[in-house]
Amino acid sequence: MNPLILLRAHRGTAAVLAVLALSTALLIAALPRQAEASYDDALHGILDDTAASLTDLTVSQRPRSPEQHVTTDELFKTADARWRSLLPPVLASAQDRSRRGAAHYGVKSIGTPVAGRLGGGERSFQYVDLAWLSGAAQRVRYVEGRPPGPPSVLARVPGLPELRDVPRFDVALVENASDRMAIPVGTTLVLGNSRPILARVTGLFQVLDKTDRYWQHELDLTNVTVRRVAGSDVEEHRITGLTDLSALGELSRTDRDLMNKWVIALDPSVLTSRNAVPVIAEVGDYQRFLSQESAKRVTSSGQIGAFVPFELHTGLADLLRDFMKRLGTAQALMALIIGGLAVVAIGVIALTVQLMTERLRPALGLARARGASLAQVAGAGTGVVALAVVPAAVVGYALSYLVPGPVTPVVHLGPLLLSAVAVAYAAVRLAFSHRKPLNQRREDVVARRPSPRRVVVELLAVVLALGGAYLLRTRGLTTEDNAAQGADPFLMLVPAALTVAAALITLRCYPFPLRLVVRLAARARPAVPFVGLTLAARARSVTALPVLILLPALAVSVYGAVVGDALDATQHRAAWQATGAAARVDSAAELSPEAVERVRRVPGVRGVVPADKGTVQLGLGGSTATVVAVDLDAYRRILAGTPLQAPPPAPAPDPSAIPVLVSPDLAHLSTFEIGWHVRMNLTKAGTITGGLPGVSFTTENLIVVPYDASKRAGARLYTTLLLIQGDGIDPAQLRAAVGDRRDILVSTVEQSLGKVTATPLTATITGSFLVATIALGVYALLTVVIALVVGAAERARALSYLRTLGLSERQAANLTVLEITPLVVLTACAGLVLGLVLPSALGPSVDLSVYAGDLAVRDYEPGVTTPVLLAAGLAAVAVAGAFLHAVIGRRRSLGSILRVGE
Amino acid sequence: MSELETPIDLEDPTLSELEARAGHTRPAFGEDAHILCDNLVRIYKTEGVEVVALQGLDLLVEKSELIAIVGASGSGKSTLLNVLSGLDVPTAGVARVAGTDLLAMTAKDRLRYRRELVGFIWQQTARNLLPYLSARENVHLPRRLAGRGAGADRPPVDDLLDLLGVGYCADRKPAEMSGGEQQRVAIAVALSNSPQVILADEPTGELDSENSEQVFAALRGANRELGVTAVVVTHDPLVSEQVDRTVGIRDGRTSSETLRREASDGNIIAEEYAVLDRVGRLQLPRDFTGTLGMERRVRLELERDHIGVWPDKPQPEDPQ
Repeated sequence: MNPLILLRAHRGTAAVLAVLALSTALLIAALPRQAEASYDDALHGILDDTAASLTDLTVSQRPRSPEQHVTTDELFKTADARWRSLLPPVLASAQDRSRRGAAHYGVKSIGTPVAGRLGGGERSFQYVDLAWLSGAAQRVRYVEGRPPGPPSVLARVPGLPELRDVPRFDVALVENASDRMAIPVGTTLVLGNSRPILARVTGLFQVLDKTDRYWQHELDLTNVTVRRVAGSDVEEHRITGLTDLSALGELSRTDRDLMNKWVIALDPSVLTSRNAVPVIAEVGDYQRFLSQESAKRVTSSGQIGAFVPFELHTGLADLLRDFMKRLGTAQALMALIIGGLAVVAIGVIALTVQLMTERLRPALGLARARGASLAQVAGAGTGVVALAVVPAAVVGYALSYLVPGPVTPVVHLGPLLLSAVAVAYAAVRLAFSHRKPLNQRREDVVARRPSPRRVVVELLAVVLALGGAYLLRTRGLTTEDNAAQGADPFLMLVPAALTVAAALITLRCYPFPLRLVVRLAARARPAVPFVGLTLAARARSVTALPVLILLPALAVSVYGAVVGDALDATQHRAAWQATGAAARVDSAAELSPEAVERVRRVPGVRGVVPADKGTVQLGLGGSTATVVAVDLDAYRRILAGTPLQAPPPAPAPDPSAIPVLVSPDLAHLSTFEIGWHVRMNLTKAGTITGGLPGVSFTTENLIVVPYDASKRAGARLYTTLLLIQGDGIDPAQLRAAVGDRRDILVSTVEQSLGKVTATPLTATITGSFLVATIALGVYALLTVVIALVVGAAERARALSYLRTLGLSERQAANLTVLEITPLVVLTACAGLVLGLVLPSALGPSVDLSVYAGDLAVRDYEPGVTTPVLLAAGLAAVAVAGAFLHAVIGRRRSLGSILRVGE
Repeated sequence: MSELETPIDLEDPTLSELEARAGHTRPAFGEDAHILCDNLVRIYKTEGVEVVALQGLDLLVEKSELIAIVGASGSGKSTLLNVLSGLDVPTAGVARVAGTDLLAMTAKDRLRYRRELVGFIWQQTARNLLPYLSARENVHLPRRLAGRGAGADRPPVDDLLDLLGVGYCADRKPAEMSGGEQQRVAIAVALSNSPQVILADEPTGELDSENSEQVFAALRGANRELGVTAVVVTHDPLVSEQVDRTVGIRDGRTSSETLRREASDGNIIAEEYAVLDRVGRLQLPRDFTGTLGMERRVRLELERDHIGVWPDKPQPEDPQ
């Protein structure tokens, strides 16, 4: 038997099989790649947005004994090489050693106060540190003066007779520090209070490239740090200046606190979602290596007193841990989508293989009767399927390389699994159907009773799925201590297992409702419903696969719709909670009534609720509380129709009192005094739980007073906050209306929604759900058509007999539709229910909050309409497929059908 | 009836007679027959339903004989043919074809049996041939399945087609041939592996009389030229009247045999016999029993040269 001849003879079916294999291989190889690419994009986005000082590795030591000082460039280099040699493998491969990279080393003094200036012009509360950093000289441009030169020693210091033999270092400062700290070129600073040193400012520089990640490690050189001195109104200023390489030795001999540091820059592009877990572990390992290295350097007991370990500074592990937590959810959802898609696609392919084996049956049956061995028959049939599937799967696999993204084992395994399943299914099916040479199927005579073995296996599948779902609900996809390791693969299979369980239950229970309907139909006058439904009830061999395909298709798309809806709603709620109204203006200073009036005239603004917010002292004690003065009635009016809610205002117990709402922790207060704009007496009239989302994020120590409270207490109205109702408000216009001041914060719902939805993973998930839903719809349609084609010959004969009895063509088409409808409708119902139940079954384990502005996604019940529409749509598409098939089948002449196989 | 004779012979046996008798094994039933079915039973069991298709069928066919099997629809003809062709396994009894015991075959033996000993032809012309192979390729197929090319021991494919009168169809696909040509190619396919027996299930069932004639002629030609034993199940009087022996099957048993011989004047004389099985059972034709109202019991009377069968009570419509 030559498979090629058979393939040519059944090229139509083979073409369908090939197209399916190609598209499925492409889908299940490309989707994971794309997903992985987007995970990496997200990780790289996070790493790029994070300061290099957090993503790179910094080894530091504050030397205490002379031998710990690093006094030459060579010694720094040696140490640098040593640190790099200690790096664990993945981190070592991720080193960024390029010239433009951020890697460098150097020494800095720490917290050196300016004790005075030679030649007067004292300024207090200034700190100037000295630093030498490799590569810094190439990254600056001198705008005034000259680069620092080698240090010198002054035997005497004019004006300070007590100082003898003082070292003087040349130092260059960043330009704006010179302005802000009033240190012009030529100034000589006295640094340190004991055994001071001198620092002569020889030049001012600008950073060549402000975006250079190098400088993110050295922000103390490029920016003046301003700090409020505790307990006073005074601000202190800190800056670090650059000295020359030749100053290294002299610097180590001074009494200043020094810190040596080596920055090992990492290339973010090497870090991926796949090596994140090992990297987290390696950072811990590296820390341990460093402390071992420190311990090694202690060789005598005298050094123990001065023992200073090498320290590792990096935020990389925490960043990756946080990312892996987010990724876990995304991966669980992608596993669900791709898994569902794979199950459905492979099911459709199996169905097509079944069609192919049915088509091959006469030829192979003849060959078997004429002396072909089982191996010859099964080999020839399997060869046909393999010839159709394998090259197509290879092409699909190859095409998937057009989709950018890293190659993971899934990419190879998907097409491989697909081909293996198709070929194995063909082989097993052929072997079973041609085991005996004479294969007269008499399934029409008696129904096969379910074997006890099969019942046990099915029960086991159902119990496993339910057990898995229970575990998933109780302990989640990951446990606390292994969150960074990724999700539990067994539990990730639970959705698929639940789907299979539901399909098995549907298959078992499918005849029961049908029987009821058949009984009803038997009483009715028209024959078509009765015959159609009876045919449906008897169609056994054809039903299992379509149910197994249609059910997950529906479940996954309904789940996608429900999750999408919930995510969408939560994202909106998060956005509204972030702003508190359609738009909000926050001002540190008071907003004038004119400004409020201008805001009212901004296009799109429909209403403005002025409010006041501040922190006040409670009574005369030390505790403080957040107070919000707002007209709750007005606020409630502008919140109508938004996801936000505000409590009703408290009724006043007596006209003179000021009624307030307090958070539960202040509920013990009945009347109390606060000192705000004016001291006022407040009367508690109710409690407010959960804070005022969008206005005040604190849920504790919160007091909500009427807007006119200060006026009632004898002062006037104050406004620092505007809650604005309207549509399409332009934040720029709003900002212009309130006077473009730096201390005014303007936000709109659209802006915060943009922030919430801009996470790269969110787009991936919603996009994948869309692709999956469309693909599943197509598969569902194909399923019905192929299932009908598989049984076409038999059905055509049955219909033709009925037509000789007077069945019209129209009735025949209806009959076909009726035959498939119960299956589609019942499966649609089961799929819909499963899809609706899945989110609440998996809800706690699939934590979507990271995609919804860290707001828990809990309302899974909202849009039943979308899923129902989806299920109805899919069912309609499937039934339409049946109708199409029936209409096409109509063209064949009665006689030709009746003669086939006689 | 030798059992009945024994006591008479035993009256005075000589020692040498006894010795000769002990050393002499009597020929078993149909020992030298090419096809032997003895008390063959085939029961189809599906859950809840049991169909007895063959109920103790006996059949003997000599080598190179051409016989026809006739019978009403559902009488078990096709089941018998499926059993003989090795496609189906009988439930009980003895079935032996060319010395091969059909009940004691392993799957491997069965495959070898189908490859080397039998060939068969179905009624449906479309079912016999692969539509996408030419006649020559179709004939060649069984040889390739058996793992043998054009061996020296079998006639070339084209000779086979010529023998059946369809040499001109060698390169045609089944769709390009008439039904009769297709059936004749099918006979060639059946003969491809030089089987000892060919079995045909209504080979002319779908053909007009002219084509039937040609197909049957081809079949008979193959029987004569190649000496192959042929069993033909048929409804077609054209066929059944041209063979030497016609076996009738009723209710899963052989019920009658018709023998034909040529009379001296050239006419064909057909004589129908009832079949007496090995345990002495006889099927009385339903017409006979109906006419005489025979039910449940009959009376037998042994006469000198025949056995009389009477109804158990006198016929009411027979006042004499």
